[in-house]
Amino acid sequence: MLSALLAATVVVLAAVAWRLGRRTRELRGRLARAAGELEALQHSFARFAPSEVVERIIAQGISTRSETKEVTVLFADLVGFTQVAEALPPDRLVALLNGYFAAMAEVAAAHRGHLAKFIGDGFLVLFGALEPNPWQTNDAVHAALAMRTALAAYNVRLRADGLPALTAGIGIHRGPVVAGVIGNAALMEYGVIGRTVNVAARVEGLTRVHATDVLVTEAVVAHLDGRFRLRRMPPAEVKGIPEPVVTFAVDGFEA
Amino acid sequence: MEWGDCWLAPAPLQEGLAAEVRRGIGGILPGWAPRLAAVPWVVRANTRFVAVRFAYMPPALSSWINLVVSQDNSCRYCYGVTRALLKVLGYGDAQIDRIERDVHLADMARAEQAALEFARKVSHANPRPTPGERERLAQAGWAPAAIAEIAYAAASAGFPNRIATAFAIPPEPFERWAERPLARLVRPLLARRLRGRPAAPLIAPPPAGPCGDVISALGDSPGAQALRATIDEALASPVLPRRSKVLMLAVVGRALDCPRSEAEARAELGALGIEPAALERVLANLGGPELDRREAALVPFARETVRYQASALQRRTRALADVLSVAEVIEAVGIAALANVVARLSILLDRC
Repeated sequence: MLSALLAATVVVLAAVAWRLGRRTRELRGRLARAAGELEALQHSFARFAPSEVVERIIAQGISTRSETKEVTVLFADLVGFTQVAEALPPDRLVALLNGYFAAMAEVAAAHRGHLAKFIGDGFLVLFGALEPNPWQTNDAVHAALAMRTALAAYNVRLRADGLPALTAGIGIHRGPVVAGVIGNAALMEYGVIGRTVNVAARVEGLTRVHATDVLVTEAVVAHLDGRFRLRRMPPAEVKGIPEPVVTFAVDGFEA
Repeated sequence: MEWGDCWLAPAPLQEGLAAEVRRGIGGILPGWAPRLAAVPWVVRANTRFVAVRFAYMPPALSSWINLVVSQDNSCRYCYGVTRALLKVLGYGDAQIDRIERDVHLADMARAEQAALEFARKVSHANPRPTPGERERLAQAGWAPAAIAEIAYAAASAGFPNRIATAFAIPPEPFERWAERPLARLVRPLLARRLRGRPAAPLIAPPPAGPCGDVISALGDSPGAQALRATIDEALASPVLPRRSKVLMLAVVGRALDCPRSEAEARAELGALGIEPAALERVLANLGGPELDRREAALVPFARETVRYQASALQRRTRALADVLSVAEVIEAVGIAALANVVARLSILLDRC
């Protein structure tokens, strides 16, 4: 009787141990998968925010700390895109825009720019925001010239597909911005705010006034390699900035 | 990890050098040695940085630092070798995975976790670790001499990382061997040999010569002599002109926001006849008419070695071979890698 009870106890304990072991293995597996997903997320997020910000978020939850940084902002927008958009069916329009963004994003990354935001048919690229970059201004202007070349190549493809060619305006300004994780629990991003961003956007608008495609401000020229070929444009009034803005068209680079 | 094909062909090593490498690296002649044979100091430097022993830091910690730094630098070669080495030393896959994912999850003392965290920051240099972060390491229980060695281990791991990545050195057969059943049997014996004991401190090199103050910060750690010998051999090597090499040091110093490295390079370049204004133009623009054809390629390349993606660094290194000889490319990568070690290590001199 006693031995039967002992045997039954051993069987029950063995069953419990087996189930516990299986459960532990399952939990370990889930933990490993979750850790893998977190790792993938961390790698992905590191492309959108400085690694120190990513680490802070992982260690402490959402970071609300912001900082002032000197960055170079490149703002680009398509000229006359409303007419293009109205003339194309939605699927072709989205394909055209995605192809354009893909080409521009590749150029931005190749020049150490961080594509921070798409705004309609425009986009914002930051230089010196994710990592310290003493050459941020030269990088931004080289990127603008490379975007000019990439857009020309993309237009060849568009024309071959019977689509209208695109024209872009690019404005570049350098100055301080407040950088940090902006948003709420539902929607947030690493971004920058401040007058520098607004000026870059306004300068992009001046490309239509001066009939050119790449314009930079005096703050940019102050940090720029003398081998860039520049043309001084007449001062122009822009919304939200009290004094007229002096800009320079970028014609090329003497290697 | 992305990894391309190695375009450096193996070549015979200088007499005595193969034996020197074998002595340093547990009797093995690794695949990179004959591929880098055209520039003996790079072979010696890689051996020293891979085989360095520490006097104040636990030997096992240096392997963990190698692992996290290699992972951060996406160095397929160093990561694979270090992971295999850790397995030979008796660590399991699960434990290694945990440390890779988050040092805070690792089965190790808080002080060692803090050391790995600090090592990662030295390697990232984004931004450069502050004196306050060194202070936190001291609060975790590390003595100043051990902190210096932790910084050295992290900074110097970047040397083999950059060499292996730039040339896409193929993985070692050792990686596969470590997984074989026979290897599992002999692991305990090997582990005893590989684990080793802390090295004895050595006489500190005099605080003179290029990068003398950074080397002095290492005190009597064996790393100080290894770094002194490497810097002296690198600058004395006849493959590239000294001016080109010092220009690369200045660029890396600027990229890593290390005024000390940049100022020392500026002083030397001034002595070599470059006007301060011309030098500032070169450093501000990574180019200019003051540079010869070779330097015009080397100066922007130096910047690309500071923070990089493996595939981009491999592409840019390959492109250097269009204007430089194979030996010049190897020396250029070696100098850039060394400049990264020195500029990262100079955090030891930053004051609160």
